[in-house]
Amino acid sequence: MAQPASESEPSEGVLQATGTAFLSIATTAGGMTILLAKVTSRVLTGRLDGSEVWKNLYKMAVKSLPIVVVTALFTGAIMVVQAAPIVKRYGAEGLVGWGAGFGTLREIAPLLTALMISGRVGANNTAELGTMVVTEQFDALRVLAIDPIAFLIAPRFVSIVMTLFMMTLFADWLALFGAAYTGKGLLSVEPRTFYNGLTGGLLGFGDVANGLLKSVVFGFVIALSSCHFGVSTTGGAPGVGRSVNATVVASAAGIFVLDYIVSFLLG
Amino acid sequence: MSAAGTTDPSQERPAPVDKEDEGPPEGVVASLGAAGIDLFLGARDLNSVFVRTLYYTFRGRKEPGSTLKQMYEIGNKSVFFLTCTMGFIGMILVYQSGLQAKRVVPDFTLLGATYLELLVRDLAASIGALMLATRVGAGIAAEIGSMVVTEQVDALRMCAADPIDFLLVPRFKASMVMTTTLIVWSGTVAFCAGAVTAYVAFDVPFHTFFNMQLVDKGDLSIGLAKCVAYGAAIPIVSGYCGLSTFGGSEGVGWATTRAVVNTSLAIIMLNFFISAAGFIIFPG
Repeated sequence: MAQPASESEPSEGVLQATGTAFLSIATTAGGMTILLAKVTSRVLTGRLDGSEVWKNLYKMAVKSLPIVVVTALFTGAIMVVQAAPIVKRYGAEGLVGWGAGFGTLREIAPLLTALMISGRVGANNTAELGTMVVTEQFDALRVLAIDPIAFLIAPRFVSIVMTLFMMTLFADWLALFGAAYTGKGLLSVEPRTFYNGLTGGLLGFGDVANGLLKSVVFGFVIALSSCHFGVSTTGGAPGVGRSVNATVVASAAGIFVLDYIVSFLLG
Repeated sequence: MSAAGTTDPSQERPAPVDKEDEGPPEGVVASLGAAGIDLFLGARDLNSVFVRTLYYTFRGRKEPGSTLKQMYEIGNKSVFFLTCTMGFIGMILVYQSGLQAKRVVPDFTLLGATYLELLVRDLAASIGALMLATRVGAGIAAEIGSMVVTEQVDALRMCAADPIDFLLVPRFKASMVMTTTLIVWSGTVAFCAGAVTAYVAFDVPFHTFFNMQLVDKGDLSIGLAKCVAYGAAIPIVSGYCGLSTFGGSEGVGWATTRAVVNTSLAIIMLNFFISAAGFIIFPG
């Protein structure tokens, strides 16, 4: 998004740079809204290519499993390592499960899973769509009277949202597993104590649901920005690189902003 | 590493296609072994890139101009992005932990001090570096990757110039300086955003929140060690991904993706190891 502003000549002045930046942000926001409306209309009327959804789910979800596993295990471990000095200070071994569980379920698991999926799936999706656009495969689809939104965009959109939801469930579980065994190794807190702290009443279904709802919102952000920047790619091969960069940055910023808004609304 | 785009594809991408073509005869063991060998080769190449970068950093040409340019690219252009994201993460963290504290002990006197300790020891560096990995890492990989596919890197080699010396070392030096600077800045932003949130949401006065009594030498050294480690990891991992690009313009997209994912993974793993080492060296 900063691209047009940075290319402007120094003599152009602050006003023009601000205006250009504002216009490009408005273009992006408008483009995303229109895309969202189009995708929603295809999904609601059932004009959605089922086999494409299936194929994309495999490519996005199954292929991302290794990085999600590694991220989740390490994240859980880090949560316990960070809590360790405080636990030692107050001798509150029984609270490790609650502390790690709360942070993991509500914030860290959805957030880090979303960042990893945005890096892997979102960027990849933009690169693919962008390459299709610059090699005019979209136009070819239109010539064949195939709706590119129903055939390419909507299946990816649905798959990304579903992928993120499932991966977050998976990451919740794995992160707690990693946290429990780090607690045993580092603080010699038995996993049983850890699980008691987790299920002891301070945490409820609400905390899990909070994280899962966030993951759906993040899924929408990633899907929307990666599809939008992919479709609006211009300028050949270097344009694809620029789109990928824009997607990753926009998804990350969007994830953080919406994380705040969702946390605040859910209270 | 060899950018002779014809040999590389066989090692890297089409693994799933091979599996589908050959079908059942290739068992679990074979695919596990292939993954293991890939991992080993990747680690060896990454290590070679790292060692050569370090070598040229101390023994190579001195080129302050290109380092300064990279510092501008990596540092100044990320300030806005990092300020936004870290401001929001600061608000979220204080809001969430305030809610929790309300549930257990309704006492906010140590909220600011605990938050500052966590920020210095871990969160400022790690979350800031994850953000930088997406912005800077993707940029480095895309730039170097498109140089590889347009054979500019080969041209450098033909001129007897090591691409690592020319391309990676300026980015490495710039990233070491700018990552630390940006993380200090974004930590400050996150803390101030947290202070405002605590004041608005939980009526914690500013002078109670700005409390540094829990931050000690251990926290500071762990935080700084993380800054340096991430600052080194981001250009090395994403530069490696850029240099191993193959397969034209589509390959650049793949390289960018791999750069973001691998850099983020590297940061998370480094975080774990540095945190664990820090806990052992500075207990309590």
